[in-house]
Amino acid sequence: MVRSLLTPSQGNYLDYAKVILVTACVTAAGWFLPLSYLALGYVYLLAIIVTSTQVGRMPALVSAVLSSLAWNFFFVPPRLTFSVPRLDESFLLIIYFVVALICSQLASLRFAANRATLLAESEKMHQALFGNVGHELKTPLSVFRMAVEQLDTADTERRAQLVLDLRIAVRRLESLVSNLLSLTRLESGVLRPRLDWCHARDLVAAARRSLGNRLERRTLLEDFSLELPMFRADASLMEEAIGHLLFNAAVHTPLSSEIRVGAALSADHHFFTITVADDGPGVPPEMVDRLFAKFSRGDTARPGGLGLGLSIVRGFMAAQRGDVNYFPGRKGGSIFMLRMPYSPFPDPTSP
Amino acid sequence: MNSEGKFDIMVVDDEEQIRRLVRLTLEESGFGVREAYSGTIFLGEAAVHTPDLVILDLGLPDVPGSEVLRALRMFSSVPVLVLTVLSDEANRIQALEAGADDYITKPFSTGELIARIRAILRRARPSGTSVFNFGPIEVDLEKGRVLKAGRQVKLTAMEFKLLRMLVINRDKVLTHQNILSSIWGPKAIDHTNYLRIYMMHLRRKLGEDVESAGHFQTESGVGYRFVSEPLKGA
Repeated sequence: MVRSLLTPSQGNYLDYAKVILVTACVTAAGWFLPLSYLALGYVYLLAIIVTSTQVGRMPALVSAVLSSLAWNFFFVPPRLTFSVPRLDESFLLIIYFVVALICSQLASLRFAANRATLLAESEKMHQALFGNVGHELKTPLSVFRMAVEQLDTADTERRAQLVLDLRIAVRRLESLVSNLLSLTRLESGVLRPRLDWCHARDLVAAARRSLGNRLERRTLLEDFSLELPMFRADASLMEEAIGHLLFNAAVHTPLSSEIRVGAALSADHHFFTITVADDGPGVPPEMVDRLFAKFSRGDTARPGGLGLGLSIVRGFMAAQRGDVNYFPGRKGGSIFMLRMPYSPFPDPTSP
Repeated sequence: MNSEGKFDIMVVDDEEQIRRLVRLTLEESGFGVREAYSGTIFLGEAAVHTPDLVILDLGLPDVPGSEVLRALRMFSSVPVLVLTVLSDEANRIQALEAGADDYITKPFSTGELIARIRAILRRARPSGTSVFNFGPIEVDLEKGRVLKAGRQVKLTAMEFKLLRMLVINRDKVLTHQNILSSIWGPKAIDHTNYLRIYMMHLRRKLGEDVESAGHFQTESGVGYRFVSEPLKGA
């Protein structure tokens, strides 16, 4: 991202190194090839075209200079001396420079276009972020304000209703703030996962604890035993990831549908997986591609929420060098699978 | 206890709103409450008249929470419940190492707060017996024996030591370092894998029913807590 936003004309040391390396390779190869010096001149030209499209203008020109010098010195007879080029040779040398300029210019135009698209995208993202966050923050705040103003005068029945509204607003604000904090941690790059041995059962228990009564009235089946091995992961990140999946399952499926949590070691013992499955409507096919993108929300999803949950899950898993995937259930419903690379627990020699 | 025979709880937080709400909640549940808005004021008051329990916010403006704890521990072993914010594991561990008994993350519910306080106060009272029961399990600390529904559970010496430590410190978070250094000695504090494997064996031996009751809680990245009376369904 940062790299692609640099305009190529700024160049950098890496570009110069690339140019020098390519020229040196062509020269070395040419030395052993039984080709005429004119044919080799075109090989240099080819090398200039290829490199110029990938580097900035200055390195492209350097590529042309190096190539002409190398060609003249090593291959134009008499070999191993610089000679005054004849007319057709000079013509080829001029073409080197023209090609280098044109190619690098084309490349820089392409970079500029890319950059504009990227900036437009990020602008759009920011607008979406501020718009949505503003809305999401103001909704619970308005509820607070209205409820508090009415609490004084309301009768008992109305009061009970207000308290219920306040509770919902508090929960919304809480999860919004915690999601935004998680997102900030992810994007600011301060997230340093601390991998340690984890037990799937503990992680799920902790995730359930943190969701509290948001899972009440739901049937949650845990399908794994104490015999499962431990695996390396960052416990708090895993906990939050599992929490998001459980919360999603609880929110997007009818009360009657059960939520199943499973954990297993993959058949080849290379991965440890934790799955959260439900019997809900599943994810519509057109949604699957952008399921884990930021601010991505189902068109039929209930109002409220920013569509951050799954993007946080993906970010947290990636930070631990794991991943998350979605599979449609066999009988409808969704299956989300968290996957971590697995290596066995070191043999515990008693201390 | 204060003059009215109520438990004397001190709330240390710089946010007036939090102090007031916690005070109302606690008073409603029959506790006596004193407030302090800074670490220095709290330490001064606590030195004159030690409360039965302290609720300490780790984010005080004048002195870092862990410093307050260290200073407090020089003259008192009063139980301390610290208030922390989410994703602040390092501070949390520091506070537990500095002598806090438990922590609760903001924002917390009043029910949770009261439950934690009751658990801490329960533990602070000496039970006078060396036999401890939870679910179908009976642990005899003196005889070093563990029974499950009347039948002996065979534990290794290390497993028993671990269970004993957890049971003695019930309803309190024990950090990995805490457990490792007191059971395996100070040289072992980095070997969390020993602890994990013994913990796993212990849980396995006590059985699936005890495990699902939720007596043993793993505090991610921090340590373990033995819960004497786990909430149903939590």
